Amino acid sequence: MHSDVIVVIVVATALMFDFTNGFHDTANVVATSISTRAMPPRVAVGYASVLNFVGAFISLQVAATVANDVVQPDLITPLIVFGGLIGAIAWNLITWYFGLPSSSSHALIGGLIGSAFAANGADAILGEGVVGKVMIPAIVAPILAFVVGGLGILIVYRIVGHQRPGLVNAGFRAGQVLSGGLLALAHGTNDAQKTMGVITLALVANGTISQEHFHVPSWVVISAASAIALGTYVGGWRIIKTMGSRIHKMDTAQGFAAQGSGAAVILASSHVGFPLSTTHTITGAVIGSGAAKRLSAVRWGVAGNIVVAWVLTLPAAASIGALTYGVTRIFGTGALGPVVVSVAILGGSAVMFARRAARGPTVTAPEAG
Amino acid sequence: MALLAEVVNGHDLLSVVWASLLAGLGLTGAYAFAILGGARAVDLSRSGRSAEAVIFGVLCALALAVVAAAVVYGIVIMVNK
Repeated sequence: MHSDVIVVIVVATALMFDFTNGFHDTANVVATSISTRAMPPRVAVGYASVLNFVGAFISLQVAATVANDVVQPDLITPLIVFGGLIGAIAWNLITWYFGLPSSSSHALIGGLIGSAFAANGADAILGEGVVGKVMIPAIVAPILAFVVGGLGILIVYRIVGHQRPGLVNAGFRAGQVLSGGLLALAHGTNDAQKTMGVITLALVANGTISQEHFHVPSWVVISAASAIALGTYVGGWRIIKTMGSRIHKMDTAQGFAAQGSGAAVILASSHVGFPLSTTHTITGAVIGSGAAKRLSAVRWGVAGNIVVAWVLTLPAAASIGALTYGVTRIFGTGALGPVVVSVAILGGSAVMFARRAARGPTVTAPEAG
Repeated sequence: MALLAEVVNGHDLLSVVWASLLAGLGLTGAYAFAILGGARAVDLSRSGRSAEAVIFGVLCALALAVVAAAVVYGIVIMVNK
């Protein structure tokens, strides 16, 4: 009975993480389209939301990999998963508060690492997986996307530089609808499945699903797809603003070059079996498309803050995950610990939203135009 | 360094770099050619130079076909991941 209550709390927390994931990462998909007025804000997030939902059903391969590669799966308990999820949610909310695009996947992995470390020590961490699947791609993604986005915009300017702006702008706006759609699909495929993987892991740890017959139940797929789609539709407007206009003012060609080359880098790297973070890739491409036009066009202070947030993501989410696990264990191994922490995190989130709301729009779409 | 060499496959990394460059620059370049073809075709047909307009129209169609193929291939990659 106790363990079933904990699993219900873990599933609810995982869906909450999935919501923050969509909410936090909407900017990756829609920021450039909104900034260049390829789509009105509400239409852009609605479009991304639908395609995120569809993307979650495309493949289930990623769902099995999240926890298996970075922590020892046989040492995982629902309480460890809970600690990891709280670490990820808290870091997503902190970076949203400051309007910084950071990787939700890295936050989830960091949270799980911290929670597993607090429970079982260093033996629970798969160092090879952390370096190979998290740290190296985190360095490669933004640099590669920066170069491809930068070269991409130079090629675009070279080809269409002498044409009438009216037709060219209309063409690139249409192209952004296409490239944004690809990004939203890729995001749904990657990120909703991470939540599916975590929920399934908790179900396996609880004995609800046998480890020999590992599969993702249909209700997990549908609920995870719905949570990320809903979060995407709500839209993290603060991060959208950072990505769309605070790094640099984009023209339509830059918007297309950033989105198109970002989508191409994500899919090409998936194709060769080296998946890269959507957030890191798109941010790198956005900065690259600005820097290639003129180095001074990029607000390097904003870019620097983003990089600092990336560096801090893993240790910060891990610390919060470890702390959460420690706090829940004060209340024993029952459901009381997760209940107390859930109430605390809900209260903290409400305070953050209220403080942000007092300063301006938080979850509402900005006026178009 | 030994751990790095063990976990990072240099061949995979190189494949990511060239595949990303090819896909990223190929997609943006092809779409730019589609816009160039479309814009020039409109301008030329307005000024009565139909033969040249057709050539640019064909360039636009071919470039759009490349982009469409890239998008379909991207979706295939996602499905088979």
